[in-house]
Amino acid sequence: MPAESDIARRIRTALGEYLKRDAATIEPRHALRDDLGLDSMATIELLFKIEEAFDLQIPDQDLQKLVRVSDVIAYVEGRVSRPAAPSGKPSAQRPPSKKKG
Amino acid sequence: MNQRVVITGVGAVTPIGIGVGQFWKAALEGRSGITAVSAFDELPLDAYRCRVAGQIRDFTPAQYLDGPHVERVDRYAQFALVAAKEALADSGLRLERENPHRIGTIVGAGMGGMVMGEREITQLYRSQKPHRVHPNFIPTITLNSASGIVAMAYGAKGLNLTISTACSSSAHAIGQTLIAIRAGRADTVITVGADASITPLVFAGFCSLRALSTNFNDQPEKASRPFARTRDGFVMGEGAGALILESLAHAKKRKARIYAEVAGYAATSEAYHMVIPREDGLEVAETMALALKDAKVRPAQVDYINAHATSTPIGDVVEVKAIRHLFKARAERIPINATKSMIGHTLGAAGALGGVACALALDTGHIHPTVNYEDPDPACALPGISTQAQERAVTVALLNAFGFGSNNAAVVFKKFVR
Repeated sequence: MPAESDIARRIRTALGEYLKRDAATIEPRHALRDDLGLDSMATIELLFKIEEAFDLQIPDQDLQKLVRVSDVIAYVEGRVSRPAAPSGKPSAQRPPSKKKG
Repeated sequence: MNQRVVITGVGAVTPIGIGVGQFWKAALEGRSGITAVSAFDELPLDAYRCRVAGQIRDFTPAQYLDGPHVERVDRYAQFALVAAKEALADSGLRLERENPHRIGTIVGAGMGGMVMGEREITQLYRSQKPHRVHPNFIPTITLNSASGIVAMAYGAKGLNLTISTACSSSAHAIGQTLIAIRAGRADTVITVGADASITPLVFAGFCSLRALSTNFNDQPEKASRPFARTRDGFVMGEGAGALILESLAHAKKRKARIYAEVAGYAATSEAYHMVIPREDGLEVAETMALALKDAKVRPAQVDYINAHATSTPIGDVVEVKAIRHLFKARAERIPINATKSMIGHTLGAAGALGGVACALALDTGHIHPTVNYEDPDPACALPGISTQAQERAVTVALLNAFGFGSNNAAVVFKKFVR
């Protein structure tokens, strides 16, 4: 098994804390809803913790991409590896522009 | 007992007009009251995921209310007072001739006095001076402040109640009024729904709940789009709606003008989830069925539905599933509209304003459009939803309202026939 990234470990730990279960039993392949039993509200609460842990804002339209634990890990890895935006400006955290209906 | 209950006056304070005349004209024209949010003082609006709302911008309390009500009453209660004042004037009731103990007040409010609430909390933490918390803070933020103030303003000495069931509060207020008047507990009830909680903290809370639209911050008027494919959450609104409800006997005695009859009501609980509806829509269908049964009306008689339709991805689908389940093939033919498409979700005011829309549809035969429905979502599209105003002889109207805390309400209105 390849070494787990720090981000992956922190996300699994956060999930374990949220779900009150041993983080070691949570695997990247687990689906948040179908395997871990998170409904949409619980997913939002979990992501609220993850946003704080990684100093991120996750835009609403990205939520639907986050189906499995591995999606969350990949998403956060992608977001935190980006060059940091200038700090102090609220616009630095603004979600990217979205498609219009 | 079992008095029939009728609507004899209406009032409205909305993002598309203050006063029923303005509201109804704008609603029939399909005007949106959703704009970019303002007035959050120094808070960085850019940090809010949603930045649009249905705010009432031209509301100057002194124009409508006298001294103490301008200074000492929260914005939501001011809205309630203004809507109640209009409805009472519209009803032609001469309060000095009435027995005050037979006049009640029932207000639906979801959030209550949040403008003052947030201001005082902020000041307390900044100043560290508990002795500077305003003496009027508690009477203002107590959730029944609006019903108390409305009752005092008009000397209404009958039942004085507040119903707080989140987004369905004032649909239940109408329903509880029906129960009270039917049972002979009052002749007349000033029934109001009001909320004014587009405040920095509440707005942030709804953003965190991922309940609000975020894809249309640059096109505010497009953001509230019930039943549309690209809907992505509701849009907060604020305002008040008021209805004067009377026993038919009382209204007849004073030869009142009657808009419509309130004929049935049902309240149920899904006992399921604080903020998520059951996806099969069966509880919603049951609620509508119970309200129709209470009104002694068959589903086949319903010819207008004012839908709850908040523009959330799941809520609109559940409601349409429920309508299809109950009305079967007729679901394809009933005119349906979403008042929230123009004024946003006014929370505690939503049921009362929907009730006003039902009363006017029954009275005038006009059904207001649902704006931003140009590209229907196949999962919740019905032919009766239209971007254009419809003209129909409506005889039975159904109002839906669902609230956080797993509660549902449905109210049935009928064209008044002597």
